[in-house]
Amino acid sequence: MSALADKLRGLRRQAGVTAPAPGTATPVRRSEPLPDNLRALLGVRRHVGTVPRKTTASAPMALPGRTMAPGLQLCELDSAWPPAPPLFHALFARLDAWIEPERLLLFDTETTGLAGGTGTRAFMIGVAHWHEGRFRERQLLITTLAAEAAMLDCFASWLRLDSVLVSYNGKSYDAPLLKTRFRLQRRPSPLDGLMHIDLLHPVRRRWRGAWENCRLATAERQLLQVIREDDLPGAEAPAAWLDFLRGGSAAPLHRVAQHNSQDLRSLGGILHHFSAATDALHID
Amino acid sequence: MNALPNPMAQRAVRHDGALAAPATGGDQLARRLERRYADRITGSFVLPGREGSFAPLPGDMPTGLAQALRSRGIEQLYAHQALAWDATAAGKHVVIATPTASGKSLCYTLPVISAAMRQRAKALFLFPTKALAQDQVAELLELNQAGNLGVKAFTFDGDTPGDARQAIRLHGDIVVSNPDMLHQAILPHHTKWAQFFENLRYVVIDEVHTYRGVFGSHVANVLRRLQRVCAFYGVSPQFILCSATIGNPAEHASALIEQPVTAITASGAPVGEKHVLLWNPPVVNPDLGLRASARSQSNRIARTAIRAGLKTLVFAQSRLMVEVLTKYLKDVFDADPRKPPRIRAYRGGYLPTERRAAEREMRAGAVDGIVSTSALELGVDIGALDVVVLNGYPGSVAATWQRFGRAGRRQQASLGVLVASSDPLDQYLVRHPEFFQGATPEHARIATDQPLILLDHIRCAAFELPFREGELFGPQDATPWLQVLGEEGVLHQEGERFEWIADSYPANAVSLRSVADGNFVVVDRTDGRQTIVAEVDFSAASLTLYEGAIHMIQSVPYQVEKLDWSGRKAYVTRTHVDYYTDAIDYTKLKVLEAFDGSPAGRGSAHHGEVHVARRVAGYKKIRYYTHENIGYGPVNLPDLELHTTAVWWQLPQRALEQAFDHRQEALDGFLAAAHALHIVSIVAVMAEARDLQKAVGSGDGAWFATPDANGRAQMRSSFGEDDAVLQGPFVPTLYLYDAFPGGVGLSAPLYERREHLVRLARELVHRCDCRAGCPACVGPVLAVDELEERSLKSLATRVLDLIVAL
Repeated sequence: MSALADKLRGLRRQAGVTAPAPGTATPVRRSEPLPDNLRALLGVRRHVGTVPRKTTASAPMALPGRTMAPGLQLCELDSAWPPAPPLFHALFARLDAWIEPERLLLFDTETTGLAGGTGTRAFMIGVAHWHEGRFRERQLLITTLAAEAAMLDCFASWLRLDSVLVSYNGKSYDAPLLKTRFRLQRRPSPLDGLMHIDLLHPVRRRWRGAWENCRLATAERQLLQVIREDDLPGAEAPAAWLDFLRGGSAAPLHRVAQHNSQDLRSLGGILHHFSAATDALHID
Repeated sequence: MNALPNPMAQRAVRHDGALAAPATGGDQLARRLERRYADRITGSFVLPGREGSFAPLPGDMPTGLAQALRSRGIEQLYAHQALAWDATAAGKHVVIATPTASGKSLCYTLPVISAAMRQRAKALFLFPTKALAQDQVAELLELNQAGNLGVKAFTFDGDTPGDARQAIRLHGDIVVSNPDMLHQAILPHHTKWAQFFENLRYVVIDEVHTYRGVFGSHVANVLRRLQRVCAFYGVSPQFILCSATIGNPAEHASALIEQPVTAITASGAPVGEKHVLLWNPPVVNPDLGLRASARSQSNRIARTAIRAGLKTLVFAQSRLMVEVLTKYLKDVFDADPRKPPRIRAYRGGYLPTERRAAEREMRAGAVDGIVSTSALELGVDIGALDVVVLNGYPGSVAATWQRFGRAGRRQQASLGVLVASSDPLDQYLVRHPEFFQGATPEHARIATDQPLILLDHIRCAAFELPFREGELFGPQDATPWLQVLGEEGVLHQEGERFEWIADSYPANAVSLRSVADGNFVVVDRTDGRQTIVAEVDFSAASLTLYEGAIHMIQSVPYQVEKLDWSGRKAYVTRTHVDYYTDAIDYTKLKVLEAFDGSPAGRGSAHHGEVHVARRVAGYKKIRYYTHENIGYGPVNLPDLELHTTAVWWQLPQRALEQAFDHRQEALDGFLAAAHALHIVSIVAVMAEARDLQKAVGSGDGAWFATPDANGRAQMRSSFGEDDAVLQGPFVPTLYLYDAFPGGVGLSAPLYERREHLVRLARELVHRCDCRAGCPACVGPVLAVDELEERSLKSLATRVLDLIVAL
């Protein structure tokens, strides 16, 4: 292998390509994920809301959640906030329909990048809905590439024909990306034909020009007074996962999960904000 | 050529079933010119007219389509169109290589439209340029409208608005695009095109002769990716390719798609008699071998033709030249501003609406003279013309014929005149009429497995679909390449799969026109502009973009003011100096491995891998026309090195000692012979001069030879200032090498044709009109000190005689 690699490196240098510094991305074969029972024996739990300590590669940290299938982790969480919206009319999202809150399915993905196209994948799908007044989150995380199909199947099983998707910029980003992944895994896309409320658009219509931008972080601060604590910037999520995939620490994955979880809760809060407002409007 | 044949013209022929009476026109003019300018005409020949060979519309064609054809005046097909119909119906991949204006586009539109009507089958058309794609869609829509066929055709290119793209992906029956869009926009987003791919039945690739060299090698790899994505969707589309007449259409088409291809090369379209004249401007300074400008001659010929009432098209090599020639002709023919203009310019850079208006005027016959760049070479239908004048050789015999093909759509004698410029290549070709008679000698070549190009496309392919260990890409096992990409960190191996994990979009970093992405951009700073005007390959940068260099862009001179080596930028301004610059480069080659070798005369010829080290030490300023050396400038740039492939010739010391009195003479002869061999080789493999380079040195890299200020060889052992006189065995070697890292497959065909090339080079030198040597044969020579015996011309001949096969 190295003969070819050396030859190619030489030719690339002669062609004027500035070569990536060798050794920046040396792949290290990572050991297989620990079996469930072993993890249980070790008594490791997921630490919700605590700041993960910096760990070195020599002291591996457990993965978030529990193992559903080889390479697939599921984290579940439920909380009182945000409160469930009432039955509301979705006119604010330009949909002429009354929506029962139990049909709502909020989702947000963490991906390997923003490059787009068939080479970008979601490594985490976070989904939330209200159940008996509680906000229930479920996050799927893959720790091997081969587990993608299982993750997609699991996600698809949570969708119903009458589900109403809720996202932030999901119509342009998350949904097409997932459709591409379903297509590459030779599966029908369960997202096709579902009603989809993308909250970015009503936020933009209402506050563009008034706020410095309409990103989720801005909307949550302005509308919900949410302040994030030790948040992993979204742009660092891909590196955290890739580093883990190449044998690095699992610690940053906890921060990715927390970031994703906050995104979901803010999504719920913003939806509640709009639904309450329109509800009042309609009662008037 | 891509346009549907002009229905009016076809109808006129077919109703009376025979050629129209031979009309006067190009033939008379040809005879007149031959009488008056016999000394300027180096070749004259006539291609006889040919009656059409027809076949009925196929019975298995959908009736709606047949009606649409009839309503457009097409009652029957040309024989080659019918052959193409049968071959595609039999499921074969087909290449159609017939002359300009023979109705090639019907060969693919008929099966494609039939399949769309019958099975809603989809087709992808690839054209090298956007303008051609748009013309093709316009034609398809007309045919569709004529028969109300319900087939939807769209262009998909960089100009397609975002909101239209979705509709095109879902509803287009025929999507007309180009290789760059396929590479950068369609394949990396193939899931969005899933419906299109699942129903993809035909891939049509027109103008495949333009896909050669580096560009062609890239396109072949894009087609590998296309076929890989098609396999994912469970389809294997049929390919229909079209080519201008080249020497190896079937071989070339098959190299591009890596499948067996049926070639259709005999045209059934009727053609009028065609006269061809090769024209060399008269010598105005015999001592310097200086000739009158091509421009003056083209102008004169066009003027004569237009006065004789013949519709005339002049092809010029640059936009500037188009404007100059247009002005000259307008001064004569458009002096009266009250009358509609008779002369029109046509070139790139016009808005689509302007172009359409110009085309309409030309078709309507309102224009008597058109001056154009290569923009008119391909496709665009401008109606019938009588005379085509080429102001300078367009770079290949195929392109020459394609341009000549612009004249003579009607059943009437037409005339094509090639006016040679002072460029050595022009001078060579204009003296070899045989190149333009009979079969074209040019072969389109590609190197699909060029290591860097392959790496780029395996990278792109891995982004599109994961690879399995052991999976083939083309005929190659991709695994070692995948491991290299894994080391780079863009792929992740898990079990036996390699998956893309980087956050990047690799197709954006791969240009189909260069070997790797180290290109320099040329930034024009004239009058406060700050715009990119050209791109230069890394390997050519040090030879053409040093500070002080006069850099020609489309024949317009710019001076390089600043070169930012690490930023890969050259800043230039427009200039009007009367000289050009020539890099003084020291090139030292060393043979690494010979793949093959054979005796060549008293020496030997080889093909193999070489190491090239090159330093640009300075440059010369050379005055136009007189070729005087009017100054030097220093260059300080990093040395370049290159592993590439080469063909080389060597003579043993004994043979040299018998033939030459001094080593100096032998070396002079080698340099001069290299010049001649280089010229003929460029023609033989349709290469650009800068893609194939020449050098003379020792086979073991101990020394190399460069011409000094007088054109005499200087032996050097290093790039340093002083050189010791060399001892030891003296085995001079003449190299022709591929100027790209890893090579792009130019040297193998040169080796195959080595004997022929040496003979051609010998003949080139022998038949040159100069006395002692000139840039058109053995390179620039100072006119003074030439004794017949020791002239470069005779020394070159001596070397070539020694290496020519006995």
